[in-house]
Amino acid sequence: MIEFRGVTRSYGDTLAVRGLDLVIPSGELFAMLGHNGAGKTTTIKMLVGLLRPGAGQVLVEGRDVVSQAREAAKQIGYVPDQPYLYEKLSGREFLQFVAEMHGMSRSEAGRAIDREISRFGLGRFADELSESYSHGMKQRTVFAAALLHDPPVLVVDEPLVGLDPHSIRLVKDLLRERVDAGASVFMSTHTLAAAEEVADRVGVMQQGQVIFLGTVEEMRRLHPARDMTLERLYLTLVGGEVGGVSSREAAEQADAGSAARPQRGAQQASERVAPIDSPGPLEPPNPLQPPNPVEPPSPVENQP
Amino acid sequence: MTPAPAAVRATAAPERRDLDTRTEAALFRRVRLTEARAHLRRLLGQARLRTLLVVTLSLFFWCGLFALFYLGFQFLSTGIAAPGYPFHTKTVEFVFHLFFASLNLMLIFSSGIILYGGLFASPETRYLLTTPARDERVVLHKFQEAVLFSSWGFFLLASPLTIAYGLSVDAPWSYYALILPLILSFVYIPCALGAICCLLLIYKLAHVRLTVLAAIAAVSFGAAVAAVWDAVGATRTQVFDDRFFNDTINRFSFTRGELLPSSWLSDALIDAAQQPPPIPMPLGETPVVRAVMCLLLLFTNSLMARLILKAVAQRTFRTAFSQMECRPRRARRGKTALVDRVAEAVLHPFPPQVRLLLLKDWRLLRRDPVQWSQFLIFFGLLGLYFLNVDQFRVTAGDIDRATWVNLVSFLNLAVVGLILSTFTTRFIYPMLSLEGRRFWVLGLMPVSRETIVWSKFVFAALGSWAPCAALILVSDLMLRVSALVIGVHQLTTVLLCVGLAALAVGLGAIMPDFREASPSKIAAGFGGTLNLVLSAIYIILVVTLTALPCHFKLIADSASINPDWLPTRYLDLWLVLGAGLAVAVGMVATIVPLTRGVRAFSRLEFD
Repeated sequence: MIEFRGVTRSYGDTLAVRGLDLVIPSGELFAMLGHNGAGKTTTIKMLVGLLRPGAGQVLVEGRDVVSQAREAAKQIGYVPDQPYLYEKLSGREFLQFVAEMHGMSRSEAGRAIDREISRFGLGRFADELSESYSHGMKQRTVFAAALLHDPPVLVVDEPLVGLDPHSIRLVKDLLRERVDAGASVFMSTHTLAAAEEVADRVGVMQQGQVIFLGTVEEMRRLHPARDMTLERLYLTLVGGEVGGVSSREAAEQADAGSAARPQRGAQQASERVAPIDSPGPLEPPNPLQPPNPVEPPSPVENQP
Repeated sequence: MTPAPAAVRATAAPERRDLDTRTEAALFRRVRLTEARAHLRRLLGQARLRTLLVVTLSLFFWCGLFALFYLGFQFLSTGIAAPGYPFHTKTVEFVFHLFFASLNLMLIFSSGIILYGGLFASPETRYLLTTPARDERVVLHKFQEAVLFSSWGFFLLASPLTIAYGLSVDAPWSYYALILPLILSFVYIPCALGAICCLLLIYKLAHVRLTVLAAIAAVSFGAAVAAVWDAVGATRTQVFDDRFFNDTINRFSFTRGELLPSSWLSDALIDAAQQPPPIPMPLGETPVVRAVMCLLLLFTNSLMARLILKAVAQRTFRTAFSQMECRPRRARRGKTALVDRVAEAVLHPFPPQVRLLLLKDWRLLRRDPVQWSQFLIFFGLLGLYFLNVDQFRVTAGDIDRATWVNLVSFLNLAVVGLILSTFTTRFIYPMLSLEGRRFWVLGLMPVSRETIVWSKFVFAALGSWAPCAALILVSDLMLRVSALVIGVHQLTTVLLCVGLAALAVGLGAIMPDFREASPSKIAAGFGGTLNLVLSAIYIILVVTLTALPCHFKLIADSASINPDWLPTRYLDLWLVLGAGLAVAVGMVATIVPLTRGVRAFSRLEFD
């Protein structure tokens, strides 16, 4: 299980993540969506221990990622968007290093490595130095490394970028398989179709805040009778506001009412997409309080 | 790929043994060894020329330094005072303390800076921080690299110095046995100090780290310049008299501080080099035992420094890393500066496409301090040396003026050429490889590949000619050489700049590397090494062809030289022939690589 409790992080004056409250229970695949600069990567960096929250707490299987960094790291398998491998090590040597780092014995590591090499089809390349690997090969090796120690939490940042269709299918199946086995999966992605296909729940971040949290169905219910794709729903929701927000702007937004900002963005986007989907303009949706008679989607802080 | 095996349980990570610190250290050591072996295999298998060149040049450099130090110590023993006499002892103490204290300071800076890059700008660290590796282990792992990279220069300087000293005073075998452990123990202390400073600086002052570093560097540099200026600013009559000697030794007494590790090292080396006492004396006062005591002092302090570093890393590293990642970033704005407008005006005569390419390369260079700062440092140091070069002439009263001045002036020319060749190899040679990586930009524009290659050549030749010509002119003016020599030097400078630029651009086009993103790694490959070797040969050839006839003509004119073996009637002809040959060599070195480069680049297929 992953828990974010009132997490905030800023880069100088820019607020990258603002008061994030989020729980991803075991056995759930959560997809975080958002524009570039919305705060997804900062959220992931805090989750895997690369950044410390300015305020709040991040827990992985009950371990605080700041005060119990090592214990938390043992619970996580992490696949970054830019895979890192030691160029002068072969794939197998790298996997051996990772396995032993997680405290596996040589024999246990050997079995786990063989299992992952077979799963990811690394057999032909496993003993070549990784300096000769393509991006896809590196990504597969990093996936294998992330799963070696059988982690209960899997964090994947843009896992489908640069992969061939075969590998994309494998990754999607793998993520579902991990979830079915009881793991929590946190996925950040721009590939909306993949999120729609595999995610149990999606979150949409904008300017450091989660402006929607729920299932794709719940998002769709925000716009009943329009039968919109996730892509169109997403664009309707986030509007055109991209990047971070400064503390001054955040204060101004707070003064103007915290709920008004997403509505404005959504309103603009709705007006933009309305002629394509429907004869009239859309109602401005409020993702936190959906209109009647639809069942409201889960609030920003979802408890399992 | 095979279908995924049956689902695995993943509700909680299986309880595994916690990796103890020793096993963790062994694991990191094993990875490093495996990497080093793979690297070595690659060097010996695929980069033999580069390896051979590096080893040969290092040996050459080492032998040169050894000869220099040995002759210096011999001069001290025979010309000043024999070993055991106060002047000899004081001079050796002065040299050793000053030398090791300076390197002490440099090691602190270099290890801190290298560790900064290794810890806060390295994908490996970023990866390791997401694993269960201990923070202090990650720091120690990168610290090993910092120690190695910051101290290899120290070994290259200290080993010939200490061995030369040992031979000059006929030191016992124990001296040579103690050199390595003494140096190893010493190096660790300033390196650890630099690492601790680096961590604490980022931990406490991440947002002003560059300002703090620049201020410390400026103060250190200022203090060093003031001390040196004070020492060499004496009038000629004062130099080498007793008072000057004692004043200089007193002025640098801070390098002999008892708390400085460099003092422990210097004292240990001087003690260890002494002959065993002819009469029995208390064990603790025998020179070799004193040297061993200093070794133990260095060793225990290096262990303590390591412990402190480990503790600091444990408490500060992850927070420091997070602070560095989240520091305020101000995006740089691309503005058209005055220098851009000047460049545009200067480049106006060129065809529009070439002009656009040149302006683009100029902007890339101007906005990349890594490139121009190195250029500035090396050429700035050369400029400083050239501005003070007449000091050598003044103090060299017993050497024939014409011989000395002309020799130095042509050596200066060769040095400028050699430094320029390292820049063309490091920055110009990789340009086309890097252009190839973004070839979709230029490849889809109505510009021929030939134009791209020629524009790089013009950029390199023009860009290098202006500073080189100015430097050589400064050198010539300070040495007050004749107009003939100035003319020959300026012609040679043009030949060097044009030829070196053509070699780098041509070879870069013939042997591009589109897989590698780092220009330094492209330059370190086979093509870059070949470019460096060919450039050195070219410089020696051109400088020799222009310098020798000129030199003979000038010394033949000198009254102090007997001209019997120099038939003066042929000297002008030799001068013209030499210059003509140099121009011919320059043309070959320019045209052949460029035409071949254009041909190869036009035929290239980009992935």
